[in-house]
This record gives sequence, C-alpha cells and structure tokens, in this order.
Amino acid sequence: MADYKLIGKNYTTPDILAKVTGRAKYAEDFRAEGMLFAKLLVSPMPHARVRRLDTSAAMAMPGVEAILTADELPEAEAPQEAGLTNEPLYEGEPILAIAAVDEETAAEAIEAVQIDFEPLPFVLDPMDSLRPGGPNARLDGNTMAGRDLSTIKWDSVDWSEVDRGIMPLGGEVTDEWQVGDVEAGFAEADLILDESVFSASLSHQPLETRTAMAYWQNGKCFMHCSTQSTARTEGGMARWIGIDPTDLVLIAEYCGGGFGSKISSSIQARIPALLSRKAGKPVMMRVTRQEENFFGRARPGIQARAKFGFKSDGRVVAIDLTMVQDGGPYGRSGDYMSCADQASLMYQPEHMRVRGMTVYTNTPPRGAQRAPGGVQAVAMFAPIVDKAARQLDLDRLDIIHTNAPQGQALFGRPRQGRQGNVSSAFPKEAIDKAREEFDWEGMKARSGQRNGSKVTGVGVAISSYSAGTSGVDGLLVIRPDGMVEIHTGVGNLGTESFSDTSRAAMEALDTPWEQAEVVWGDTSKHLPWSAIQGGSQTTHGHTRSNWAAGLEAKKRLQEIAADRFGGSADSFEVGNGRVFRRGNRGQAMTFGQAAERAIQLGGVYDGSQLPEDINEMTTRSATALAGRGLVVAAKDNFETGGRNMSFCIGFAEVEVDTETGAVVLKDYKVASDAGTVLHPQNFAGQVHGGGIQGFGVALGQKWVMDPQWGLHVAKRFYSNRPPTILDAPHDQELAWSVADEPDPFNPLGAKGIGEAPVGAGAGAVLNAISDALGGNVDFNRSPIMGDMILTMLNPELDEAHNKLSTHV
Amino acid sequence: MAVIRDKMPAFQLFQPASTEEALGVLDQYGADAWVLAGGLDTWDWLKDRVKKPAAVVDLGGVSELSEIRSLGGGLEIGAMATLRDVIRHPEVSEQFSMLADSASQAASPQIQNQGTLGGNVGQDTRCWYYRDGWSCYRAGGNICYADTPTAMNREHAILGASRCVAVNPSDTAPVLVALDAEMVVRNSTGERVIPAQDFFIGPAVDIMRMTALQPGDILTSIRIPWTWANTRFYFEKARDRAVWDFPLANVASAAKISNGVVEDIRIVANGVAPYPVRFLAAEDAVRGRQVGQAVAMEAGELAINGVRPLRHNAYKVTLLRNLVKRSVQGAEA
Amino acid sequence: MELFQWGTNPWGQETLIRVSWDLLYLFFWAGIAFIVFHVVYAAVWLPKLARANGGQEEAAAAAGIPETIERHTLWARIFHWVMAASMLVLLVTGFFPIIGVQFAWVTIHWIAGIVLTISILYHIVHATFYLDFWSIWILPDDMDEAVQRVKRQMGQEASEIKKHGKYPLDHKLFHTAVMLAGLAVIGTGLVMMFRIENALVPRNAYLLSEPTWGLMYTLHGLGAVLFVMLTLTHIYFAIRPDKFWLTKSMLFGSVERERYLDHHDPDRWVVNKESASKS
Ligand SMILES: Cc1cc2nc3c(=O)[nH]c(=O)nc-3n(C[C@H](O)[C@H](O)[C@H](O)COP(=O)(O)OP(=O)(O)OC[C@H]3O[C@@H](n4cnc5c(N)ncnc54)[C@H](O)[C@@H]3O)c2cc1C
Ligand code: HEM
Repeated sequence: MADYKLIGKNYTTPDILAKVTGRAKYAEDFRAEGMLFAKLLVSPMPHARVRRLDTSAAMAMPGVEAILTADELPEAEAPQEAGLTNEPLYEGEPILAIAAVDEETAAEAIEAVQIDFEPLPFVLDPMDSLRPGGPNARLDGNTMAGRDLSTIKWDSVDWSEVDRGIMPLGGEVTDEWQVGDVEAGFAEADLILDESVFSASLSHQPLETRTAMAYWQNGKCFMHCSTQSTARTEGGMARWIGIDPTDLVLIAEYCGGGFGSKISSSIQARIPALLSRKAGKPVMMRVTRQEENFFGRARPGIQARAKFGFKSDGRVVAIDLTMVQDGGPYGRSGDYMSCADQASLMYQPEHMRVRGMTVYTNTPPRGAQRAPGGVQAVAMFAPIVDKAARQLDLDRLDIIHTNAPQGQALFGRPRQGRQGNVSSAFPKEAIDKAREEFDWEGMKARSGQRNGSKVTGVGVAISSYSAGTSGVDGLLVIRPDGMVEIHTGVGNLGTESFSDTSRAAMEALDTPWEQAEVVWGDTSKHLPWSAIQGGSQTTHGHTRSNWAAGLEAKKRLQEIAADRFGGSADSFEVGNGRVFRRGNRGQAMTFGQAAERAIQLGGVYDGSQLPEDINEMTTRSATALAGRGLVVAAKDNFETGGRNMSFCIGFAEVEVDTETGAVVLKDYKVASDAGTVLHPQNFAGQVHGGGIQGFGVALGQKWVMDPQWGLHVAKRFYSNRPPTILDAPHDQELAWSVADEPDPFNPLGAKGIGEAPVGAGAGAVLNAISDALGGNVDFNRSPIMGDMILTMLNPELDEAHNKLSTHV
Repeated sequence: MAVIRDKMPAFQLFQPASTEEALGVLDQYGADAWVLAGGLDTWDWLKDRVKKPAAVVDLGGVSELSEIRSLGGGLEIGAMATLRDVIRHPEVSEQFSMLADSASQAASPQIQNQGTLGGNVGQDTRCWYYRDGWSCYRAGGNICYADTPTAMNREHAILGASRCVAVNPSDTAPVLVALDAEMVVRNSTGERVIPAQDFFIGPAVDIMRMTALQPGDILTSIRIPWTWANTRFYFEKARDRAVWDFPLANVASAAKISNGVVEDIRIVANGVAPYPVRFLAAEDAVRGRQVGQAVAMEAGELAINGVRPLRHNAYKVTLLRNLVKRSVQGAEA
Repeated sequence: MELFQWGTNPWGQETLIRVSWDLLYLFFWAGIAFIVFHVVYAAVWLPKLARANGGQEEAAAAAGIPETIERHTLWARIFHWVMAASMLVLLVTGFFPIIGVQFAWVTIHWIAGIVLTISILYHIVHATFYLDFWSIWILPDDMDEAVQRVKRQMGQEASEIKKHGKYPLDHKLFHTAVMLAGLAVIGTGLVMMFRIENALVPRNAYLLSEPTWGLMYTLHGLGAVLFVMLTLTHIYFAIRPDKFWLTKSMLFGSVERERYLDHHDPDRWVVNKESASKS
C-alpha cells in the first residue's frame, strides 16, 4: 500500500460518540411544537379493493386532526406505488393515515374507521401465477415485458415437474441474453450439473424502521426521515411531496440501517409530510416493526434452473440459467439480471445464456438488498460449483481460483454485442494469500471430523459485487479558523463511508484529521451532489470526489501563497494545515490565513466563481457557502476503466449435529479484493457484518406465509429470524485479509466493500453444511434449517416442501 | 371496524406493593385483569391489541415475590425472580443446575434480565396464527388454522394436540416438571399448591389456557423439593438460532443413577406438545437398567409412540426421539 | 343476551362462529320453567279433566287383549337406552366444559356422537321396516285431538277427547322435536368430525367454506341447547308418578291391560294376541 497518513488507519468517526452515548437523534427522536402522530390503516388482505370507506366516526373523535387517503395522492403510474392505495396488493399495504394528538388516539381512530374490502384473487408463488389459469397478482398483469405490464402463462411446460420441485424449461420469459454458444459449451464439458435451485425472499429488517417526521414553515417542508443517502434523497422526496427540491429541508444525520431498503428514503415518508400540510401541524409517523415487515422492502426470491458445464480441471465453460424472480407487487427490481451478471463475473464462463423474468406476487414490495442478485447468485450457484469440485475430485478452493476473474475481465450481459469489463479483479491474489493465512489445508483436515453426533463441515465460496461509481462532486471550505469543513451528501447509515471518504480530502491536503470537520446529513447545511449510499458506491466514488476537491484546494492554497509570497504556485507545498514554500518553511500561511485571503480574493477562491462541470446541487450549496473561506467544489473527472467490482471469499467452519439438525458456526474468515482499505476497523465491520447477514440468508431468515389466506405468519422480528450476533462464531476473533491490490482507477486505489461480503457468508455456510453432511446432499435452496437437515438425513420423513417452494 | 396492531391501547395500571393488594385488584376486575410480570409475553398481546384487559396488575413492586430461599423441604423461588436471578443464584446452580441451564438458554440475555420465572411458566403459546389474532379455537373460535391442509406448522405439536396444535414454548417448564416442582398459587380465597405436572394443561381440557391459573390467581412461588437435587441432569434445547429463539423441542431429565444403573428418572420434553410432556413409558423402560446406548434408544422410541406429525413438522419426531435418547444417555456420552 | 357468537376471519371479515352460550342458559331455564308450570298444571288442572273409566276389562278380555301388552320390543328398548346414554354423555361432554367443569371431553364426545348416530340409524331402519311406522308421526287425527284439548282447556265446549293410539300427541311432539334436533346435531356433528382429531376421518378445516362451517357450528349448538330442554322435560315426565308406568315399559317392555285401556284407543293402537307379539 502506498504510504498514506490517514488512509488505511483506524480513527474515531465523528458520529460515533453520539451513537454510543445515545445522544444521536434518529428520525423518531425529533419533536416539534404541536406535533401530531400518524397511524396507518393497512390492508388485512393480500389483494383487495376498498368497497366502502366511512371515516366520519374516526374524524369525530376528539384529538383526531387530519386524515389522508389514497384519493389525495397523485396517482402512481403502474407498476409504481403511491404509498397509500384503494387497491392494496399485499398484506399490510397502507390504505390511509390518520393524524391525532397522540398515537393512542390515532390508533383508536383507525379502529373507528368503517371499511369494507372486496377480496381479489391473489398469488404468493410466482410459479402459481405462471400456471395456465393461475391468478395474477395485479389486475393489469403478472410481469413487465420491456416497459409494459403484461401477462405471461407457461402453457407448454410440464407442470408435474414443478410439483416435484423441478424448475421447468421452455416457458416464455421477458429477458434473454447469450454470449458464446451454450450448446457448444456443454458439448465440450466433461461434467454437467443441471439443478433446480431456490433462494428465498427476505426482509431487510434494519434496526431503525422507516419513521419520518415532517413540518412546514414558510412554505418549506422540513423532513426528518430515515434514509441511507442524503443528497440523493432530496430530489425523490421533493417529488413525492410534490414540491421543488429547494423547498425541502431534509435532515437525516443518522440512519439505523437500510441495507438498500432506504437508498432514497421511502415513499411512505410522504405521508407525514402531506398530513402535516393538511393539519397545519408537524406530524410524526413512527413506523412499527410490523409495518416495517410489510412495506420495509425485501430481497426477491429467485427460482431457477441452473445448468453448469465444467471441464475436468474445474473450468466453467458454459452456464445456462432460467430464472423467475418473485417480484412482489410493485416496481421492477431486476435482481435476476444482476444475479446473472455476477455469475458471469465469478465463474467467467465462455458460453452463457440467461433467460429470466420477474413475476408479480401479492407479497411485500421488493427492493435492492445489499448485493441484490449477487447474494442469490452465490446462494444458488456456489453449492453447484462446490459439488462439481467434489465430482471432479478437485480442491474446492482451487475450483474457485480457477474460475475467478483476473485483471480487467469481461463479464455480464453484452451491450451492443460486447461484454463490459471490470475495472480490476484480484480475487486470485486474495485466494492465494488466504490459502496460507487461513490455513486452508488445516481447515480441510477438519472437514468431516466427528464429535459424537456432531460433524465439522468446511465451506468456501466466492462472492462479487459492484463497488463504486464516479462523476460525483466534492465540496469543502477552509475556514478562517483553520478548520477544513468537508461537506458530503453521502448518508450515514452506519457504514461510516461519509466520513471515511472525507479523509481523502485531508490526505490530499496532507493535514491531520483533527483539523477536519465533516458536514453531513442536513441539506440546509449545503451538501454537494453525491452518490447514493447504496451499491457500495460511495467508497470509490467519494474518495475520488474528495481527492479531487482536496487537490483543487491544494492548488488554490498554492496560488494564494504564491500571490502572497511571490513565485510560482508549484513552488509551494501543502501539509499539516499550512501552505509553505518548498525549502523555506518560514514563508508559510496557515489554512486560516489562507482562508481569510481567499475571502478577500473572491472569485474562484471564495466560491463566488464555480467550476462549470459540477452538479447543480453542488453549485447551489457552494454558492450558499461562498464567502466563508476558501470554498472548493470539484467534480470527479478521474479516469474510469470499467465497472468497479469487489470480491470476497468466505471460509466457514460449522458443526452440524446430525441428531438434532442444529448448525453451529465455529469460525468464519473472509479474504477480499476491495482495493485499498480506507479504514480497517470499518472494513472488518463490513466484511463480517455482511458475512453475518449472509449467515441469515443461509441459516434461517425468511418469510412464512399461509397460502390459504395469503398472510404472513412469521412477521414478528424474532420469527423472521434475522441472524444475531450470538449466531456469529465467537470463540475467536473473526479473521479477514485483503489482496491489497489498489484499484487502478481510483486515485487511492479504493473500492467499495459493502455488498460482496453477504454472498460470501451465505455461500460459505451453505457449502460448509453440505460438507458436514458428506458433500453429496442437494438442498439446492436457502435457507437451510434444522428441519431440512433432519429430513435429509432421515429419508423416512416426509418432505414438508420441495426445493422450489416459496414462503415456507 | 378496521384492525390496527403494534400499538398498545390504554389500560388501567395498578402497581401494588403487596400480594394482598394485588389480589384485591384482581378480584375487583376478574377476567378483565391481567397479571404483569416481566412483560415479555404480555406486551406482545397488548401491543397487538389482540387482548385488551381493562386493568394491568404489575407485580414488579411486590418484593416478597422475587425471593429465592431454601426451605426445609426444598428451594422456593418467588414467581417474580427473573431468569437472571435464577441463573445467578448459587443454590440453584449447586442443587438444580438444570434450571439455571434452561433459563440461560431461554430467549436472549436481555429477555433473561427482564423475564421472570413465573412469567416463563405462565407464558402463552407462540403459535403464530393465534398470536397474530386469528380467531382460532384457542381464541374462542371453531378452527385451528395451524392444522389445515395448507397450514404452516413447522413449529407446532406432534403430541398431545386436541384441535389446537400449539405448543408450550417454555424452556424452564419441562425442567420444573422433571424436578417435580410445585406451584404455589394464591387468590382471594386462599392458597393452593399444584404439582408442576398438573399446572400445565392441554387443549383437550381447556383450549383457551395453557396453565391452571384462573382469573384472580397469582402464582406466588415455585417450590422444588430436594428429592432430585444434584441428580444427573440433562437439558438440551433445539432451536434455529443460537439465541432469541423458542425451542423447536427441548428435553429435561433428572436421573438417580448408582453404579451405572438408573434407579429413578423423570424425562420431560417441551415444544412438542401443548404442555410439557412426561414420558412415563420411557421412564419405566429405563428404570432399573444400566445406562447405555440400547436403553437410551429404546426410551427414544417409546417417547415417540403415538406422535401425530403435521405436514411441516415430521422432523420433530426424529428430533424428539434423539433428544430423549440423549437425555437418557446423559451428557458424558 | 346474544344469540350468536361472531368472530372475524383472518381477513378481518365478520364471520359466524356458533350460537351464543347464553342460549344454553335460556333453554335450561325454559326447561325448568316448563317443568314448574307442568307440576302446577298437573296438580290443578288435570284432575278436572279426569275421565271415567270402567267396565272395559271384560270387553277387552273378550277382544283378546292380553293381560300385559308389549309396548317396546327388546331391541327398541336397547335402542332407547343406548340413545339415552349417548345423549347424556353428549350433553355432559358438550356442556360441562362450557359451564366450567373441565375435562378432556372431545374424544368421549365424538365417540358418543358416533354411537348416537349409529343407534339413530338403526332406529330409522327398524322403525321404518319393523315397527308401526306411522304411530309416532303427527297425523290429522292428532290435530283434531289437539284442537279439542285446547278448547277444553280454555273451558269451551268440546267434543269428548278420543283416547290416543300408541303415542299421545305430546309424545309425538316430543319425538318430532327430538328428531329435528337430533338430525341437526348428528348431521353437523359428523361434518364437524373433520375439525377434530379422530380415528375416522382426516382433519380438514377447509372442507367447507367458512360461512358454511359457521352454520354447522351454529346448528350443532342450536340442536344441542334444544336437547338440554328436551332432556330435562323428558326426564321429568319419566319420573312423574303418573307417567311412571311408561318409564317402566321402557325398562321392561310391556304395559298392563288396565293402563292400555285407560289411555289408548284400541282402534288406534290395535293390540290383539297376534299383533301384540309382533309389534
Ligand atoms: C423474542 C422472545 C423470545 C423468547 N424465547 C424464549 C425461549 O426461547 N424460551 C423460553 O422459555 N421463553 C422465551 N421467551 C419467553 C420469555 O422468556 C417469557 O415470555 C418470559 O419469561 C415471560 O416472563 P415475563 O416475566 O416477561 O412474563 P409476562 O409476559 O409478564 O407474563 C407472562 C404470562 O404469565 C402471567 N403471569 C406472569 N407472572 C404471573 C404470576 N406471578 N401469577 C400469575 N400469572 C402470571 C401473565 O399474566 C402472562 O399471561 C421469549 C420471549 C420473547 C419475547
Ligand atoms: C345431544 C347431542 C349433542 C350435544 C348436546 C352436543 C353438544 C356439543 C357442544 C356444546 C359442542 C361445542 C360446540 C362448539 O364449540 O361450538 C359440540 C361440539 C362437537 N360435537 Fe356435539 N353434541 C351432540 C351431538 C353430537 C354428535 C351426534 C356428534 C357426532 C357425530 C357430535 C360431534 C361433535 C363434534 C365433532 C364437535 C366439535 C368439537 C369442536 O370443534 O370443538 N356431537 N357438541
């Protein structure tokens, strides 16, 4: 790693003290004078139409102040949602909201609403909707073909196969691509595995629900909401409320997790805003855990048929995928497509064909969840590659290594006949290092070891995911008091990248972090145009933008010094909070002095004159800051070289009790290629936090729905079974290692690490369970729970469900 | 009327300082009163507005109810002792380590800090249909939603069901039955002492309650006789996660063993039936015999005699058989 | 007082669950009230209505009427007592838990229900093919008698009340009520077997639509509470001294000629040596 002063070092982030002492204010913690509380009336049915609605009794209750119904919202264009509806498409979809002086009253008012629903046909399993004569989740169709809602039924497939858990081939799909020639690929394969596989839908379950509080002052809407991003929430939120972004003040300094479900906050946040305008008072809408379970988004499940062709050396020559994604009732999430892209990247097949579609169901709306598609890819395909290694008598880490991409490998869906490339890929290096560091041979030696009824299993899996964007802006102010204010529109959802990436600017200024002040989380504080805090975009994108701003600031400082002391700008250096003449440190200005000078100079120095290429939002913010010091706004114009991708290779060791089906995770280690590590502590938090989330995918997090009524039965937090910290191995500290290969297209070599870890955790654990059971087991689905293990081990037990069954 | 959940409605809160005072309020409100201990079971019901008592009687201020002390014949644990109190109490660990063990595997550390032993045995079933307010048998209806042809019943009963297939989810209950504990119950008319085994009742007898507690009753303490103190204990809980999960099944056994021969044994499991089930046939088969694989297997097979698995819970049959087997074999095996 | 118990289905729609158990108390007290009324009525009114009998003995002997007349065959008696026993078991198992006496009732209940069903089936076949089928049904003659009785009770002119056939009108009325209530509990009870664990049919809570199930439970409950009243009054009559000869006949099978002649119209219940041995 290059010799950095800040990058790669642990430090205390500016938000952490408030968080651990409870002083941090989340959306729910705000109060405003006269504030009302809103409660939602949500649909008790999976699909229905409001037949009769009488709110008079509710409105007549003392303390009830306003009601908002779907009729008062602009209609959303299908398949988008409006936030409130008269034709709910899933259990728990909000119908109306009531604001009252307190929540007790609001809840009682909801109970006083006379409402009558007409139940409509519903469907929970995409397969049921594809069946000829099967119900559609939406009245206007069951899928999106291109930009149109349409209905597809699979008339020609063998449905008895589906009943046996076999994904049928040949049904009509909406998306299709191919590289090479799969048939030819399979012809040259030495081993073909053709499997029906399934990865279950699961809720995001962030600890903070999507609560929001809003009030209006002088025509401006002040919104306290739970959101992952700040800059990138403003536009969407303003649109939802129906105002100009300049009339919105968004305050969201802390977010208790989102995992992709709150990238730009959530549409339900419009409800308190609109209620507040109607009532003329602030309105707080605290979203309950149960509501979060309903409309808090979820990862789409995917039912697939995956055919993999291998050469005898383990090389994947051909992949043929048919995928049906459980699309929920709204939107157009494309997990199945990124699932295919990731498979293409991780296994680098020469020949690949992908056929897929989303089928709408009357289940909670889907959204991006930490490595959307990527996690499903690993959960579904890693066991197949693992199985191939066994059948070909290869080392299971070797087969991953053999197929892993290298350099600027091509992958994914071709555009104009050509596949795109990855900016850098060093998973092989990561594996080589981990093989030694993690003692893979030692791990393997423990595989199959028995201790009474307990058997040790070892699993390894590779996972890849997107790791950055480019072209966003940096904005900083060097104030007359010498402090460097780094403004960022990146949200603070717990990854700390809002702060970690800010350090790039200080690194460029070669100045101690103590002199920095990060400004974030409040649009009234003038934030620059930033990446969404999602898709692992910020680490790469904002090291670039802040590096750009840092360099730009340095240049201006040098110019100011040259102006003051004479000589050329490049005879000055910047460091330690000063700008000084090379070779003559006596000729120096502190940042504070330079800032005062900048104010005097005006123009490009104090923000009065701004670069042309920065985003309009940055311009607005920088203009507002103009005159406060040395104001620098800069766009990231660094060179790009393909799609940024990070890689994780998870190594799991489990103990499976063959008499109880219990799985205990004994150890988990992760190797990664994520470029330069900005902040080791956080990096560990990401790779292991993501890993734990992956354990949930592998071991239990799911929905259970009653098919007769179309309702959730496992909707409590605990019955949803997200993983807990005690599910993570804790006999020893969890290890991690990095390839430590900088990304060539980031000035600091950084890539994001938010998402790839999840799949690694899921895949490694799934493979470890199979390993413990002797390797030749075909669960072919996630999660794997104790009951499945016992059923697998005791053939006399009836299978409760087949491989493709959803929501069981 | 529209339905709303996850928001507690208003109720009258009573915080008596003595058992008498508490009994007075309970008497006054009858079936409209709710006894509140740690609230881990209670708050769910109230928050979901599925149960709407007019009065809630918080026993938190009745300090006499949380004492743990040894009596002549055994150990008496106040109903309001928290699971943490039980785990930490030296005499519990010395004499009845299995109770501490089960308490420490219940729920999560946070819940153990707050939940009481009385509440743990008094808790209602976690059948997800019933808890969600579906008007099933247990809620006074005429149907069991968990045992329909399409029901989701992975966590339900394989034994002892009668129309309702919900299970008793308590981890400490089977231990108390195995230890032959007694429940001391008071109401305004006096005190009665109920053997733990009879304290838990199945739907065949009363489909709407899990225990012998009636409106107006307070469970004041649990007495564990020394009879089974420090015998060979075995407790095991099978669950989906390492923590924060109810048992899929658990087993508790206490055995008096001398020279490898089982003189006496009590084997009880929970999570498989609507009440902690004692396996008398298995106990009989084991009594007087040398501990070993064969006898353990036999006990396991006897325990699953008469099971009636549902669509999604056949695995529990194997699980129960293996747990009972292990409980006979003991931890050393 | 409520008539029905309503609940909601999982979608929050109102649905019928069963009759309200308020009806149990209502029918119980109605039965008691009837008995009290009848005790008074029997003490005050009946003596006034007493008829003169006598001089029939010889004629009867001449007509070939035996000393003791078989009223209920052995099989008919066995049926009656099996039915009575199962009915009592059903009542106890059905209602004791509701009034607070708790025990494991369902298994006993359904088994008793099946016993009752079988005994009723037997009875239907037996009565249709082997007994004087029409003797128990309310026929036009009975209506006439009813009219006359009511007139007399009201103190109006009425023609002499004819003696009845094998069964008097009140027996017939009782039988009709028992039949209707019985068919209701049996028909619905058999279907309700699909909701409980039993050895005969697999559980299938979705066998019927939700409202139909509600109707089943409601009819079962209605039949059941009706039985409370019917059983009460039935037992009352059975133990009344003036009716005890009838009870005895249900135990031992026959009535004395004197009773026969007192209460029955030989034309309407024809008994001679041949038929007596037959019916
Ligand atoms: C997420 C979660 C997971 C859990 N997992 C487990 C688990 O794995 N194993 C397990 O055993 N438990 C588990 N529990 C249950 C928890 O341990 C018990 O609910 C808790 O111990 C109940 O005790 P409490 O003191 O909170 O009782 P409360 O909730 O206050 O009371 C429970 C019931 O008992 C009655 N009651 C309580 N005390 C008395 C008394 N003295 N007299 C009369 N009636 C009384 C109350 O009226 C109420 O009906 C879990 C609970 C939760 C919320
Ligand atoms: C006089 C006769 C009967 C009486 C008084 C009686 C009474 C009752 C009562 C009070 C109930 C409870 C109903 C409820 O919960 O809504 C019940 C339920 C039931 N009865 Fe009967 N019953 C009689 C006959 C029968 C017969 C003949 C059968 C079967 C052939 C039968 C089978 C059942 C069944 C299966 C249930 C359902 C139990 C349940 O769902 O909880 N009953 N009966």
